Amino acid sequence: MIRHFFKLIWNKKRSNALLIVEILVAFLVLFGVMSLMAYNYQNYSRPLGFKYEQVWCLNIGWNQDTAQIGEKLKSIYQRIRSYPEVEIASRTNGNTPFANNQSNRNVKYNKVTIQGDIFSTDEQYAKALGIEIAEGRWYTRADKGAKHTPAVINQIAKEKMFGKDNPLGKIIQLEGDERWKIVGIVENFKQRGDYQPNAPVFFNLSDWDMSSVLVKVKPGVDANFEAKLMREIGNMQPDWVFELSYLKTLRKSMNQQTSIPSLIFSIVCGFFLLNVALGLFGVLTLNIAKRRSEIGLRRALGAPAPAITIHFVGEMLVIATLGVLIGLILAVQFPLLNVFDLEASVYLVGMLLATLTIYVLVTLCALYPSIQAARIQPATALHEE
Amino acid sequence: MIKLSGIEKVYRTSSIETLALDNINVDIQKGEFVSIMGPSGCGKSTLLNIMGLLDEPSKGEVTINERQLKGYKDKELARIRNQEIGFIFQSFHLINDLSVLDNVEIPLLYRPGSGSKRRELAKEALEKVGLSNRMKHFPTQLSGGQKQRVAIARAIVGRPSLILADEPTGNLDSNMGNEILNILLQLNQEGSTIIMVTHDENMAKRTNRLIRLFDGRQVF
Repeated sequence: MIRHFFKLIWNKKRSNALLIVEILVAFLVLFGVMSLMAYNYQNYSRPLGFKYEQVWCLNIGWNQDTAQIGEKLKSIYQRIRSYPEVEIASRTNGNTPFANNQSNRNVKYNKVTIQGDIFSTDEQYAKALGIEIAEGRWYTRADKGAKHTPAVINQIAKEKMFGKDNPLGKIIQLEGDERWKIVGIVENFKQRGDYQPNAPVFFNLSDWDMSSVLVKVKPGVDANFEAKLMREIGNMQPDWVFELSYLKTLRKSMNQQTSIPSLIFSIVCGFFLLNVALGLFGVLTLNIAKRRSEIGLRRALGAPAPAITIHFVGEMLVIATLGVLIGLILAVQFPLLNVFDLEASVYLVGMLLATLTIYVLVTLCALYPSIQAARIQPATALHEE
Repeated sequence: MIKLSGIEKVYRTSSIETLALDNINVDIQKGEFVSIMGPSGCGKSTLLNIMGLLDEPSKGEVTINERQLKGYKDKELARIRNQEIGFIFQSFHLINDLSVLDNVEIPLLYRPGSGSKRRELAKEALEKVGLSNRMKHFPTQLSGGQKQRVAIARAIVGRPSLILADEPTGNLDSNMGNEILNILLQLNQEGSTIIMVTHDENMAKRTNRLIRLFDGRQVF
């Protein structure tokens, strides 16, 4: 019977070509959306690498002030640490968790150079964010006098730079001939939120005037303390600008930067698919109306009613298969050519989901007109001719 | 072979009730070649459709090969149509998108069997109607007579015991009509039971028996 379908479809290739193209385009759009969803899900399912629930981020701007910035920052920091409501405070550069700021640099070890996100922090950073150390240790105050700046890298940076070698104690080189010594490894660190791919990250102990403070407050600390904190540090430097945000809020906002466009894209795709579905439904209904005598004939020659339904659904599935096959040939180029540098599994999931969706869509669209076709009275259909 | 007892067929719409067949009693024996004649609209095709299980009578009984078919389900009726009845239509009803050979194979698609066996049987049927040289052609490339021969091949490919022909020569000129009738006579001589609806008195005379209908009633 399948051979019979292929013959019918092949012999009507001109009229079926448009349908195949429609299914191909739908497949490609679905492949894009599904791959994006798979990519987002894959990123989302990987741990963030830090805890944010009780952590506030204080960004400090000193405007035109140039005098003794370091000292003034230090006294603000000391003041924050002194509150009993504060569990830990950590100074860091502006690329705090869930901020839009980034600091990228090329990092080299032997002949391998990779680009990574750089986080210059103090020794309290890991504690403030609850970062778990997989190997080695986090840097401490005692590292300050060392010949090389102590650094902690994440797992993916380790894999890309050192492969299976142990990176602990190794010296890496940064642009400008700066050298850091690796003292520890963490698993993940997704600064830009849950949807960020796990990219190479380098933490280093910094002595620079750092413009942000991560404040981990004790459980139960509320907005009253926030108001008190802002008032008191504001009084310490009245001309400076202090901005406090909860990491929890920042995370939500950062995640929305990915989830909202994805949602919009999915809705647009949904409308597109609805159009495709209506198109397929219309084409098949018209097709059946044009083939009433053929239906009558098949019934006369011994096809039971369900065989007619199967026949028309089967024809549509064969047409869908041709469209999907062409789509798969195109889609498989993405992992083969490593387009967008994504893992092959993302594309494979995209292909699988797009294929399944097409088959479900085509079956649903074909089912009703095909059931209607099976209800056609053979005597009436044959007489119409 | 086929027996119709007290057949009545009424077509109902919301306002009109039309009696298409009224008390038809027919008993056709195995190996007979029977013609059904009558003016247009007298119910010939309706009768043939009931005989071919394409339509249900409003009243009465149809018996084929000793089986009284009242209450048979669609699937069972389809199986009987497929294995025991062959149809030939005035307008051929060939599928233009399929080759001659593929058209002839259609009845065999609805019964178990391999593709090669189907092909073999279809070729045999086409040889029987003298069209073995046109197997790869498409219906649009054939003359009317050739199309009807393809339809005959399709009707006999499943080796049915009963062939129902609804004005098989109606769309053909007299030469081609005779050619088709000769094939049907040949099939009858080989053992097939044939029931043919026709308008042509001369053709009806060449069959074993004639059933005349007028206004849905059998006339003698």
